[in-house]
Amino acid sequence: MNNQRKRLSAIMITLSMTLVLSACGGGNTASNNNPAADTAAEGGAVKLKVYAQHFDDDTKGPFDYAVAELQKEMPEVEIELDPAVQDGNQKLKTYAATGNMPDIYFTDWATLQTFAKSKNVEVLDDYEATTDYKNSLNPGVESRLIAPDGHVYAYPDTGIEFQVIYYNKTIFEELSIATPIKTYDELAAAAGKLKEAGYVPMSIFAKEKWITSAFYNGLVTREEAAGFGALDEQGLAELPQSFVTAAQQLEKLQQAGLFDANATNTNYDQASSQFYQGRAGMFVNGQWEIYSSAEKLGDQVDWMYWPAKDEATYEASKYNIAGAGSPQGYAVSPASDNKETAVKVAAFLAAKSAEYKYTQLGSPIVSPKTDKPIASDVPVMMQRIADELLPNAKEYAKLLSNTQIQNAINDNTQNMLVDGFTAEDFVTNLNRTLSKENQ
Amino acid sequence: MNKYLGNKPALALFLLPALLLYSVILIYPVLQSVVRSFYDWDGLSTATFAGLSNYRELFGDPLLATSLKNGGLFALVLAVFQIGLGTILALVCANPKVRGRKLLKTAYFIPVVLSVTVVCQLWIAMYDPTNGLVNKLFDVLGIPYQQNWLVSPTQSIIAIAFVNAWQFMGYQFSLLYAGVKAVPEDYFEAATIDGCGKWRAHWHVTLPLMRETFKFCFTIAITSGIGAFVQMLIMTNGGPGTTNYTLTFMIYRYAFMESNYGYACAVSVLLVMISLVATVVINKVFDRGQHA
Repeated sequence: MNNQRKRLSAIMITLSMTLVLSACGGGNTASNNNPAADTAAEGGAVKLKVYAQHFDDDTKGPFDYAVAELQKEMPEVEIELDPAVQDGNQKLKTYAATGNMPDIYFTDWATLQTFAKSKNVEVLDDYEATTDYKNSLNPGVESRLIAPDGHVYAYPDTGIEFQVIYYNKTIFEELSIATPIKTYDELAAAAGKLKEAGYVPMSIFAKEKWITSAFYNGLVTREEAAGFGALDEQGLAELPQSFVTAAQQLEKLQQAGLFDANATNTNYDQASSQFYQGRAGMFVNGQWEIYSSAEKLGDQVDWMYWPAKDEATYEASKYNIAGAGSPQGYAVSPASDNKETAVKVAAFLAAKSAEYKYTQLGSPIVSPKTDKPIASDVPVMMQRIADELLPNAKEYAKLLSNTQIQNAINDNTQNMLVDGFTAEDFVTNLNRTLSKENQ
Repeated sequence: MNKYLGNKPALALFLLPALLLYSVILIYPVLQSVVRSFYDWDGLSTATFAGLSNYRELFGDPLLATSLKNGGLFALVLAVFQIGLGTILALVCANPKVRGRKLLKTAYFIPVVLSVTVVCQLWIAMYDPTNGLVNKLFDVLGIPYQQNWLVSPTQSIIAIAFVNAWQFMGYQFSLLYAGVKAVPEDYFEAATIDGCGKWRAHWHVTLPLMRETFKFCFTIAITSGIGAFVQMLIMTNGGPGTTNYTLTFMIYRYAFMESNYGYACAVSVLLVMISLVATVVINKVFDRGQHA
């Protein structure tokens, strides 16, 4: 019996020791979290883990360039890339939930809002790098850096992106469709001609809801420059008239056959190949599509402004930009062991990524200015944006921060592309969401 | 045997690992979901107690009606197609006079081992309104029934359910086939000697003796239908709009798209409750009169 007790006691002691030792071991992490332990500040080498998109030429190019430049500027910093996955930031949220945040991460406004609440993002307001970044911004893109709550959470590289309508000039000439199309009646008439000739009038990857939402926003911004941002208002329980008008226009365009019957089940690859293979007259996407379309269709393709209810409205609103600037970019984890350095590196990566886009790709849609010359071989369509649209931009659409309202718009604009769903249904559904969310 | 079963510490020792694993991966998450359903929680911040507000909001949510209707339709299609057709095929394959039974059995099971993504992509192509095989087939047969299968707000859920039913029919078939083979042949022979036709003998002898198999098959079909998700996500992304939403799609939306985990937990609890009720009802229905 005594022997049994002794054995039991020995087991208990061993277990207790194991637990105590494990607890001591775990303490290492906590002590490393001390902000004073910024290795760079002490002059040592610093390793920073960066979670960023790095899966194709468009994402690898700017990031690799920025890292190469960083090696020249801050050779003591070593970057460990953790490639981001296309998962709606679920991997990043899992990192946050398990306390394994990378030092620097690239993310969007929806995630930044959640991280701000849960204190998984460093507020960058008082850092010197932020003051410098603010001073370097291109005009009109402040909303990309400063969040609606007045704080800075991330350093953006791109400027405010927006959607335009691309069209195949050869097909338009062949069918004698006058350009630019200025009113939605003209757009409906063009859809009729294209359909009759056997073309898909407008190719759209409406299996993704954001693009139907962007199309609707294009129509809305002709009369309400703030776009969806106008819906983010306490007490607003009914869609303003400009939104109702845009819904009615979208319904008429759908009825005129502007979209393919299978549009809501068409993905980007299918929609873009319809356009690039000359089976569709028009294509809707962001300005970033310029590079692909110029490469695939050369000078056969151009973009046009969004149509309005009449020519006067078109002329008055054509420089209203159908894109809203939401904060996004390189953010820093408050739990980083090298927070001070991480903030500087995040700002540097964002600035250099923008520099690559400007100097190598010729994109003027960047947040910070750069003192280097723009790329010489800029596609003509991008040059038009730089020369014609950006200098004349009257107003950018405003950000809609309410995810529920945005999701309701996404769902219902996709529905608008299906026979039988009316503008009235759209308005009823949106009013229900608005009255719930804005009360 | 009694000596082994009487050794309670040994029994506990052998059962404990499995019980622990089951508790950690099933019981604990379910209980956590129940607790979290009473909180307002974004998945990361500190949760705040919200009482029954998530449930009150859920029962007024228009998506709930759509999801319940779609779940019901999905379950119905699975039950009718997989179990109905699976039973007929199992009876046919159990007949020793049927030639090529081995080939048929393998053929029925092939879709089960294919990836869901592959099957969905295959059917997306087949459902294409312009060039898809389904519409072409109607055309060739001279039936004027050209449909936009995955876009129609009324038909798309049935079209998608059919894909699931087609793919996993082989699984139900294998269960039903095992059930048919478990029925002693003497009973069937006795019935035929008494003048019963082949199908009548199956109706009166084989099928009633497969009660336990049917109970299991219906439970799988109905609960799979209520909780269906993957096919909708791949084939239509729940659209157009929210027309193809199910309860699981609601959970996905509220948890991962809107970071409203508390509300998503409330939907999860409802899903578990409905599945439990369905299982109990199926058991009651099949047990009725069994011991009379």
